Amino acid sequence: MNTKLKVSEISKIYPGCIANDKVSLEFGSGKIYALLGENGAGKSTLVKILSGVVKPDDGEVFLNNESIKLNSPLDAKKNNIGMVFQHFNLFETLSVFENLSIDSDKKDEELRELVNDILKKYNFKIDLDIPVLNLSAGQKQKVEIIRCLIRNPKVLIMDEPTSVLTEQETDDLFISLKQFSKDGILIIYITHKLKEVLSLCDEVAVMRKGKVVSVSNTIDEKIESLANKMVGENLNTIKKKINNFKNSKEILKISNLNFKSDDPYETNLNNLNLSLKKGECLGIAGISGNGQNELFQILSGEIITKGTSIMFRNKEIGKLNPRERREYLMAFSPEDRISQAAVPELKIYENVALNNFKSSNFFEKGLVNEKKIKEHSKKILSNFSVNTDNVELKSQFLSGGNLQKLIIGRELITSPELLVCFNPTWGLDVGAINYIHETLIQINEQGKSSILISTDNDELLKLSDRICVIYKGKLSKIMNADTVTAEKLGILMGGGSID
Amino acid sequence: MSFDLNFIGILIGAIMASSVPLILAASGELITERSGVLNLGVEGMMIIGAISGFALMVVTDNLFFAVVGSMLSGLIISLIFGLLTQSLLTNHVATGLALTIFGIGMSAMIGKNFVGIPGKEFPLLFINLKESIPFLGPVFFGHSIILYFAFGLPFLTNYFLKKTKTGLIIRAVGDSPTSASNQGINVTLVRYSCILYGGAMCGLAGAYLSLIYTPQWIENMTGGRGWIALALVVFATWSPIKVLIGALIFGGITILQLHMQAVGLRIPVQLLSALPYIMTIIVLVVISRDSRKIKLNTPTSLGQIFYKEK
Repeated sequence: MNTKLKVSEISKIYPGCIANDKVSLEFGSGKIYALLGENGAGKSTLVKILSGVVKPDDGEVFLNNESIKLNSPLDAKKNNIGMVFQHFNLFETLSVFENLSIDSDKKDEELRELVNDILKKYNFKIDLDIPVLNLSAGQKQKVEIIRCLIRNPKVLIMDEPTSVLTEQETDDLFISLKQFSKDGILIIYITHKLKEVLSLCDEVAVMRKGKVVSVSNTIDEKIESLANKMVGENLNTIKKKINNFKNSKEILKISNLNFKSDDPYETNLNNLNLSLKKGECLGIAGISGNGQNELFQILSGEIITKGTSIMFRNKEIGKLNPRERREYLMAFSPEDRISQAAVPELKIYENVALNNFKSSNFFEKGLVNEKKIKEHSKKILSNFSVNTDNVELKSQFLSGGNLQKLIIGRELITSPELLVCFNPTWGLDVGAINYIHETLIQINEQGKSSILISTDNDELLKLSDRICVIYKGKLSKIMNADTVTAEKLGILMGGGSID
Repeated sequence: MSFDLNFIGILIGAIMASSVPLILAASGELITERSGVLNLGVEGMMIIGAISGFALMVVTDNLFFAVVGSMLSGLIISLIFGLLTQSLLTNHVATGLALTIFGIGMSAMIGKNFVGIPGKEFPLLFINLKESIPFLGPVFFGHSIILYFAFGLPFLTNYFLKKTKTGLIIRAVGDSPTSASNQGINVTLVRYSCILYGGAMCGLAGAYLSLIYTPQWIENMTGGRGWIALALVVFATWSPIKVLIGALIFGGITILQLHMQAVGLRIPVQLLSALPYIMTIIVLVVISRDSRKIKLNTPTSLGQIFYKEK
């Protein structure tokens, strides 16, 4: 079975941005193709077009030299194009089998047999009769893949599949993908991770600002060459000097903290112990959903705990709410910029005013002191190089990077002693990531401490002085960053142990 | 007040009859909500069903036309809701509230000429069995066909949602319309169908009131039953069987407290009248405490407007 897929002169324009600008590419079965690019380079738009979710403004798609129309996801399915989205298209409250049977014409017994064959062939281990919400991210992805395999796909498109996986799960995925490729399935692999391109793919197409800027064999490429093609400029890499904090003052101590949730979607935390020195950055690694949310909320005061388990600057703060904790010079940057950290419908200065301290006098006798807040906001915008000076702008019109700078700026302008951030560079472009990283390093240099909860291992290794891993609500031993490697983290993140 | 067995049988029969409109409307609304649509127009659709059923009965002198007509009119009213929320993407809550206000006003206007007209006798089944068997007779026999349908409906609904492909698709749409759409399911069509089905069931519930239960036309005769039906769906955590239990408790306590008022117990009437509401909520909250089951039964996308990417 030989499959040829060709996209020709595909264009898609959204208001204010050209997502795809005359993109032309050719693929053939037996190989794994990488589509590489930064966030917003147009990769996702292209694969949405290939899977029939989005219609192109211009251009054609050819399958085996025949022009095909992809007006809906059904058309893609009819043409045997399978797609695994970055954000899973699963029904959380339905069982695995129900998820698979929903778009199959087969009888239940037949389908079950077919699925069991696939499970056996590719060595997948999934219980078909439990609700999807009980699965790990890696298992959910397998369900998505099985859903494609049921339909004998000619083309399988994977959109940033490893962003939610452990190192071990990633390895497993790569083995499966290579097996699919051997079985004659054409694989298109979308990513912004350079290492993956080199270890998995045969050919690589790089996209930048909606255009294809290069197509080459991966054998001829190196990490640096791909990075420069992807970003379009030479990047300077930052590396933090790791310090020894043995003699520094302890600023935060959590001892024997437990948290049990009534919500089946949440993770329980078991017997957490950690301490943080002045000027130190503690990194907490882990795959999302292992208790990071709960840990962040316990630190920020969204979840109240027993008074004695959290000591900050020799005060018991477990019972304080987020605002009281801020008064004690803690600061927080939550994971979800849009819904947790800022209110998108409010103007910039209004969002700044939400973080209100007794000393800042934003409110007088119950009235809003607009002038004061606006001055304060302007200071944040200029000090943290947010790309606007208009404090009346609604926050939803800021890009992710600028919004994150505003949030970090709002938190830092009051010189807190501790900043807790959760995935601060999630979904940002390289420029903004660099800026945030520099800022985080800077506050440590000024003698302020930080806790960095992140799912990005490179980021953790770059910024932390000490690192630990959270797995199923438990913290691993805390290690000095210079003794930690990405491989070690990967093992711990998947529940393994090292010594 | 005698407590012989036959009297208790008659009492249970009356309780069953009074819970029929709740079961019908709530079962319909349950399907609508399972697809992710929150239609607060239940009261409006019921009262439109009540007046159009009664009016058709008077005009055509045919009960079959009256019942079918009431369902059709409920369906048409819900079509307005569908057009607004699914095609014009208006807010579910506001649109549903408007539908109720519209329905109540519209029914009062149509109903002006029908006030005071006596209803027609609705055929009751197995009358002779009802009288010949003590206790069980009045419980199980001598009811209208709509009552038997209503008591079967929650079980049918349960089977439909859990065991059939269409039921699975409806649950999937309620869980995540975006995923469903990406799987090639026509979300808008599914949601329209569920809205129309809900409308028809509310229409039937209204007809039961004006053709069988009361039977005559009185302005505002649904008297908030639509709102109770809505609350039942939520407190029953979208489980059809629990809707049936809730409706029976509500109907039961309504009838019992009327008897208590008649006997003249020294409890304030206002408290007795509030009793059905309080007890229904307490019982349903207690039997629906399994938070895992709630998560699995709750339509995650309830009330969210679905917009397809172009």
